[in-house]
Amino acid sequence: MAHARISMYLPPDINPTQAAIAYGCRALPKLNEELQSEDLLTRQKALMALCDLMHDPEHVYVAIDTGCLESLKVLLKDNNDMVRIKTTEVLYIMATHNVGREGFLEHDVILALSSLLNDPQSACRKNLHLAFKHVALLPSGAQGIVNSGLIPSLVWKLQREEEEIQGLLLDTLAACLTEDATEALGSHVVPFLKQKLLSTNDDIRSKAARTLIAVSIPLEGKNQVWQHDVIPILVHLLKDRVEEVQANAAGALMYATVTTQGKYAALDTEAIHPLLSLLGSSLSKARLNATKALTMLAEAPEGRKFLQSRVPVFRVLEDDTSEAVRRAAQIAVKVIEWKP
Amino acid sequence: VASTLTDRTCSAMGTYTYTYTSRPRALPCQRRRYRDHLMQLAEEPVHHGNIMYDRRVVRGNTYALHTGPLPGQPDPIEIQRQQQAKRRALAKKRAQEQFRPRTPEPVEGRKHVDVQTEMYLEEIADRIIVDVECQTDAFLDRPPTPLFIPAKTGKDVATQILEGELFDFDLEVKPMLEVLVGKTIEQSLLEVMEEEELANLRASQYAYEELRNVELAEVQRLAEQEKRHREEKERRKRQQWEVVYKHSETAQKVAARVFAQRYLADLLPSVFDSLRDGGYFYDPVERDIEIGFLPWLMNEVDKTMEYSMVGRTVLDMLIREVVEKRLAAYEQRDDQPPAGKPKDELGESGRMTEPPVGYELQEQSTAQPQRPLPGRDSLQRTPDDGRYMESVLAQETKLMEEAEYEQTKIRKTSGTEVLQPRGDFQP
Repeated sequence: MAHARISMYLPPDINPTQAAIAYGCRALPKLNEELQSEDLLTRQKALMALCDLMHDPEHVYVAIDTGCLESLKVLLKDNNDMVRIKTTEVLYIMATHNVGREGFLEHDVILALSSLLNDPQSACRKNLHLAFKHVALLPSGAQGIVNSGLIPSLVWKLQREEEEIQGLLLDTLAACLTEDATEALGSHVVPFLKQKLLSTNDDIRSKAARTLIAVSIPLEGKNQVWQHDVIPILVHLLKDRVEEVQANAAGALMYATVTTQGKYAALDTEAIHPLLSLLGSSLSKARLNATKALTMLAEAPEGRKFLQSRVPVFRVLEDDTSEAVRRAAQIAVKVIEWKP
Repeated sequence: VASTLTDRTCSAMGTYTYTYTSRPRALPCQRRRYRDHLMQLAEEPVHHGNIMYDRRVVRGNTYALHTGPLPGQPDPIEIQRQQQAKRRALAKKRAQEQFRPRTPEPVEGRKHVDVQTEMYLEEIADRIIVDVECQTDAFLDRPPTPLFIPAKTGKDVATQILEGELFDFDLEVKPMLEVLVGKTIEQSLLEVMEEEELANLRASQYAYEELRNVELAEVQRLAEQEKRHREEKERRKRQQWEVVYKHSETAQKVAARVFAQRYLADLLPSVFDSLRDGGYFYDPVERDIEIGFLPWLMNEVDKTMEYSMVGRTVLDMLIREVVEKRLAAYEQRDDQPPAGKPKDELGESGRMTEPPVGYELQEQSTAQPQRPLPGRDSLQRTPDDGRYMESVLAQETKLMEEAEYEQTKIRKTSGTEVLQPRGDFQP
C-alpha cells in the first residue's frame, strides 16, 4: 500500500500570494467579487491575480464589462498601502491598452486616481503617474485630464516629486499641453520648466524641453517663454551633450521665435551658430527642428543677412534622406533669399 | 485518572498516612525503548506495561525479601561495579543478538503480546529466588523502518513487447513535438510581434509628432509673416498718407502765406499813410508848439488885438466924441461962420472914413496878406489932406504899422504855419 504521506514539495503552480483564478469566463467575475470582500488578504490576492490577467487586452475588456473598475475605484481609498499600490498597478496595466483607456474615460477613473496624488507611498504615486502618462497618450484621454482640472496640481507636483516621477509627469504634461495649454500657462508652468531645463538628469532635460515645445505652441505660451527669459537657456541647451536634448531645445526655439520679440531675443543670444552646427546632427528630428528655427530667424533682417552667406549648407540639406527635412530646407532657402 | 493524596482523614491527628487512589487503568510503560526519533511522524504505539512484568510490583513472598546489601563491606559500590559489568555483558549480548534474525517487528498499530491460547489459563507465578537488577541500556538509534514488502498475491503475468510491435517513437513523437514546439514558438512570435508593433507604433508616433510640430511651426511662421507684412503695409500706407497730408498742408500754407504777403504788401505803406494822414506821426516839438505855444500865442495875439481894437474903439469913440463935439461946435460955429472948415469935414469924413478904412484895411489885411500894401497905397492916395489929417494919419499909420507889424508878424508865423500844410495846395 502506498504511503499516505503527502510530498514534501508544494505543487509547482501555486503562488500563495495570488488568488486562484477560476477557469474560463468565470475568472473575472469571481475576481470582481473577491475584490469587494471584507477580508484584506482576499482582496490582496485578488489584486495580484488581476495584475497578471490584465496584460491581455481581452481580459481588460471583460473586466471593464463586469464592472471591475467600480470596485477598483473603491479600493483606491483603502487604508492598506499594499492594496493601493496593487490597485494603481492594475489600473496602469489597463491604461496601456486602448480598451482600458476608453473605460477610464467612461467611468471617471481619472478623477478617482487624482485623489491619490498626495499618497505617502512612492510606489503608489509612480504607478499613478504611469497610468496618467498612458492615458494622456490618447488625445481624448489628454482632453479628459485637462477637463478634470488636474493640470495645475500636476504642474505644482513637478516641483515636489522625485526624479523618476518627474520624468513621468513631464511626459504626461507634454501630451496634455498639446491639447490645451491655457490652464497650465496660468499656473506658472514656464518657470518650473525653466528650472527643469537646468537639471542634471539627461532624461529630465529632454522631457522638459519637449514639454516646452508643447507650451510654446499657443501665442500666450510664446509670450511667457520670452518674458521669463527661457530663450537664452534654450540656446545654451543647443550645445548639450545629449542629442535628444538638442533636438527638443531646437524645437522649442522654433516655436518661441515665431514672435518678433522671440526672434530678437534669440538673435541677441547668438542662436544661429549652434543651430547651424545642429544641421549636421545625426538625429533627423534635430536637423528638422534646427532648419525650421533658422527659417524663423531668417525672417528677421539681421538673421537674413547673416544666413545669406550660409545658403550652401541648406542646399546640401535639400538632398537629405528625410522628406520633411528636404522640404524644410527648400522653404528655408526661399525665405533667406526673399527680397522685400 | 484521578489520583488524590488524601490526608484529610488523619490531619486532625497530626500525622497522615499516605494513600493513593486511582481509577483502574492500564499503565503505560514509561520505559523508552528507543532513542527519540528525530522526525517523529506518527505517534508510536503506546506501550502499555504488563503488571506482571512490572518491576515495581513485588511478587511473591514479602517476608523473604532481599533487604539490602550485606553489612560490613561497601556493597553499594561493589554492587554498582557489578551492575556495570553486567550491563556491559548485556550490551555485548544485545549487540550480538542484533544480527540474529528475529521475529519481525509488529506491524504498525499492532503489538506482539504473549497470550495463553490454551483453553485454560494458567497463572504464571514465578517465585523470584534471585533478585536481579538490571539497568536499561543506553539509548539506541531507532533503526530505519524496513521496507514493507507485502506478500505477493495474485498471479504472475508477463508480457513481452517485441521489436516493432508498439509504436515507432520517432514517427509518433514528431507531431507532438511539432505541436509543442510550434505552439511555443508561435506564442513567442506573437509576443515579439506585439512588442515590435508597439515599438513601430511608438516610432511612427514620434515621427508624426515631429512632422506635426514642424508643420505647425511652419503654419505659425507663415501666419506671423503674413501678419508682419500686413502690418508693414499698413504702416507704409499710413506713412504715405501722412506724407501726402503734410504735403498738401504745406502747399496750402505756402499759398496762404504768399497770398497774405501780397495782400499785406501794401498794407504797410497804406497804414503808414493813413496814420500819417490821421496825424499820428507828429514831431513832438512841433506838436508841443502847436498845442501849447500857439494857442497861447493866439490868445496873446487875440489879447493884443483886442487891446488894439479896444484902443481903437476907444480912440474911435474919443474921435467920435471929439468929432461930435466939434461937429456940434462947428454946427454952432456954422451958425456963425459957415466956410471955415471944409477941411475938417473932409478931415472928419476922412477921419470917419479912416477908421472904417482902417477897419477895412485891417480886415483886408487879415483876409488877404497882400492887400496891406495896396491898402497903404490907397491910404496914401486918398489923403491929400492937411496936416491934421496927416498927423492923424501919421498916428494912424503908426498904429497901423504897429498893428501891421504885429499882423505881419502874426501872419508870417501863421502864414508859415498855414503855408506849410497848405504848401501842397498852393502851387
